[in-house]
Amino acid sequence: MSWESILPSALTGSAVRTAELRMDSDAFAGFYQRSARSLWAYLARVSGDPALADDLMQESYVRYLCAASPASLLAEGEVSARRYLFRIATNLMRDHWRRPGSTSIDDLPEELFATVDRSSQADSQAMLGPALAQMRPRDRQILWLAYAEGYSHREIAEVTGLVSASVRLLLFRARREMAGLLQEQAPNKRRQL
Amino acid sequence: MTFTACTREKELSGMVANGQWPLACPEELRAHVSGCRSCSELVLVSSALRTARADSAALANLPSPGVIWWRAQLRRRNAAIERVGRPILGAQIFALATCLLLGLGVVVSQARQGLNWLSWFGQLGQAQVGAFDLQALWPGGLFNSGWSLMVILPALATLAVVSGVVVYLASDKK
Repeated sequence: MSWESILPSALTGSAVRTAELRMDSDAFAGFYQRSARSLWAYLARVSGDPALADDLMQESYVRYLCAASPASLLAEGEVSARRYLFRIATNLMRDHWRRPGSTSIDDLPEELFATVDRSSQADSQAMLGPALAQMRPRDRQILWLAYAEGYSHREIAEVTGLVSASVRLLLFRARREMAGLLQEQAPNKRRQL
Repeated sequence: MTFTACTREKELSGMVANGQWPLACPEELRAHVSGCRSCSELVLVSSALRTARADSAALANLPSPGVIWWRAQLRRRNAAIERVGRPILGAQIFALATCLLLGLGVVVSQARQGLNWLSWFGQLGQAQVGAFDLQALWPGGLFNSGWSLMVILPALATLAVVSGVVVYLASDKK
């Protein structure tokens, strides 16, 4: 007996309609396997905290499933569903930083991001960790969405809640800043080697 | 800072995204990138972030999708129960308020009629203890008043219950 069957009949109409739109567990498992790693990477790199990324990733999927019609989102295409998932994750990250008890990412020391970066063995990663740490959180978000996830300006605007025209300009500035940081660190790294 | 995007960025982005950069890329585009600041920055940043994405994704320690599915089911169930409980609570509050108002109205109307039914307490003392008489238990004032409370009270109680049900159904439809 499912829990829905014990609810009063007054709710039955809407409950049935919603149930029709909901995805089954197998469809979700497939979607999860295909999208979870990239979502975790986004959360971990932008927040600089892998433990927080674990929590936010789970919460993102739970909210995605509790949404009105994740199945219809999936029917629109997996790209659309992933974008929706990233939007949930972005909002959760923003809410986390706004919470009074939590430290804003703007106030975190830069060293934290460098020490948390567990993938700094490779040369590119050794340069990328400190470079990302020096970027503003919003810049990290849009850079990641644009160049790691391959989202267009319009898609980034949807995920972050920014205006599409602003994304273009912000992205250009962030990319220039990051390229500068990477180029600065490349000679230092070579000297260390 | 001047905003000067190169016209070949889109083409280059596609090649980097598809893994065609630099080996499967035309020589002419490679030459362009080496001389174009905007495109060289794009290649540098894009390559670094894509490598970081692959490395970070490999580090992810993912929980089972079943756990997340179960958590979502639990949250949906709790939300549904809360949705059901909300109109019931509203109906209960409305019914209580209606009962209180009606009770107050009855007390006020009885007070205006001179509280005839209080004489019943006096009659109760005079009743014979040995013989049980059901009529003696009924307050005489009830039957003497113009509006019989024996009819009014059940009607009011029914009205209160029906009001609560109406409020419940109305809020449920919303």
